Amino acid sequence: MTQTGSSVTGTAPTFDAGPATAGKPLIEIRGVSAGYENKRAKTRLIALRDVTLDVYPGEFVAIVGPSGCGKTTLINMIAGFMDPLEGEIRVGGAPVDGPGADRAMVFQDYAVLPWRSVHNNVKFALENRRPRPSKAEMDRRTGDAISMVGLRGFEQSYPYELSGGMRQRVGIARALVSDPQILLMDEPFGSVDAMTREAMQAEFEKIIAATGQTVFFITHSIDEAVALADRVIVISSRPGKVKEIINIDLPRSRFDESVRRDPRFAELREHIWGLLQDEALGAKIGGGAA
Amino acid sequence: MSVVEQPVTPTVGDGVTEAITRSKWAPFRSLFITIANLSVFFTAWQLFALTETINPLFFPKATDMFGAIYTGFADGVIGPELLHSAKNFTIGLLIAGAIGIPMGLLMGGVKIIDLILSPYVWAMTALPRVALIPLLILILGFGNSMQLTIIVLSAVFPMMVNCMEGVKTVDQSLLRAGSVFGANSFQMYFKVVLPFTLPFVISGINHGIARGLVGMLIGELLGGGGQGLGFLLDRAGDQFDAPMLYATLLLLAVMSVSLVQGMRWVERRAAPWRSTRV
Repeated sequence: MTQTGSSVTGTAPTFDAGPATAGKPLIEIRGVSAGYENKRAKTRLIALRDVTLDVYPGEFVAIVGPSGCGKTTLINMIAGFMDPLEGEIRVGGAPVDGPGADRAMVFQDYAVLPWRSVHNNVKFALENRRPRPSKAEMDRRTGDAISMVGLRGFEQSYPYELSGGMRQRVGIARALVSDPQILLMDEPFGSVDAMTREAMQAEFEKIIAATGQTVFFITHSIDEAVALADRVIVISSRPGKVKEIINIDLPRSRFDESVRRDPRFAELREHIWGLLQDEALGAKIGGGAA
Repeated sequence: MSVVEQPVTPTVGDGVTEAITRSKWAPFRSLFITIANLSVFFTAWQLFALTETINPLFFPKATDMFGAIYTGFADGVIGPELLHSAKNFTIGLLIAGAIGIPMGLLMGGVKIIDLILSPYVWAMTALPRVALIPLLILILGFGNSMQLTIIVLSAVFPMMVNCMEGVKTVDQSLLRAGSVFGANSFQMYFKVVLPFTLPFVISGINHGIARGLVGMLIGELLGGGGQGLGFLLDRAGDQFDAPMLYATLLLLAVMSVSLVQGMRWVERRAAPWRSTRV
């Protein structure tokens, strides 16, 4: 594994770096750098450097990269939790200025409100907005979202009565209920056990096929990225840069046995794995260079 | 791979949900155990006291103690003092709560208020309350206001500190979820911060009760007001009236245990997710 950078040579497959969908991008990330200040040492740790990326409407984009490469920083900036040091992020043409109704987020640690029932947790995403929908309308949409994630019958349960996978279903229902344009997902299945994870991925693929939302999905699982995404963005180790963009040209549903056995699936997976392994090795050897 | 884990509606007879049949005496099980336990304890006490290994002047028979409680209430010796203490304690705790809870919540939420007040609050939290008695007697004399003040001063700071800690420890990802899903600062406070802080408020009240009881007793023991359970304790000691001494201690124990248990019940009802957290 001596190859580094984005050049893939020889017998290795070539990967189209263009957008999967044409049209005007929904999320525009332009020359974004981000960092965290260490007040004690009076230094700044650069997490992301000069990241430029477009996400098109209806696209499912997965971000993979070694830990500490700034994946979460990137999603936090799109969500509006923090500002870039340099560059700009635009959503729907307008610069991001704090969280907005066009974006919903699914958190790795679920972040459901423990004192609210499943129903009221999901309804939370509707009741704060203005104009506020009528009570009947909120209840109807909440019910729909709960059925969509397969939690019907648990409306009155509390999160502490549910398993981790079910709690994350609540988190997903809450993100879907207001029908936002963009779903931001920060390792949503990372805390869920392996069996449940695969089931939830398959269900989630169906849900997104039905709703047609744009998904910005962070994961550390290559399998998950290949199985779900239209495009996989590989981020290099700190400071994070876009290393390569891979179009996943596999048919859906990706959870079909025949697709899983497709040699292309293994090929893509191996290619991404190779890129990440370079990064992991590079991070170890040249870790101080950053 | 098309196996989809579909949670089913929990209804009896679906193969997953089962009805639980339990003896109708089951809820009283722990009560029975407690009664048996206490009976054994007092019987052992009685038998030990009968051997007179310890001078009966210091260690009376359990029956004498219960007798002292009975005659104390019958003769109107205990009743008014208990009432006085309970009234003082309740008023003191209400005042402490009315000051301590809002102040604590404010200190947790507003950085500048926290910065200004915290040296005083922490100093007062750490300072043993007894140290204030001479000063309070000097200012307020031996009257009831001094006893009330010491209860308030004892209870208010633990309440304040707990409420403050509660607001400060609100889960960051819940705050993020709040802002992602459109909560403005008012909604964030009432829908995320306050519910999260509620168990801390209750635990603050718990601490306030425990400290307030101590404050009540030292006020009555050392304040020389001539009223309350502390006074009863003091007088029984002076008169070598061991049964009355033990009787008062038992009343105090019952009072504190019921307050603490009552608050635990409130806590379980108010924040069930804390005790059942997996």
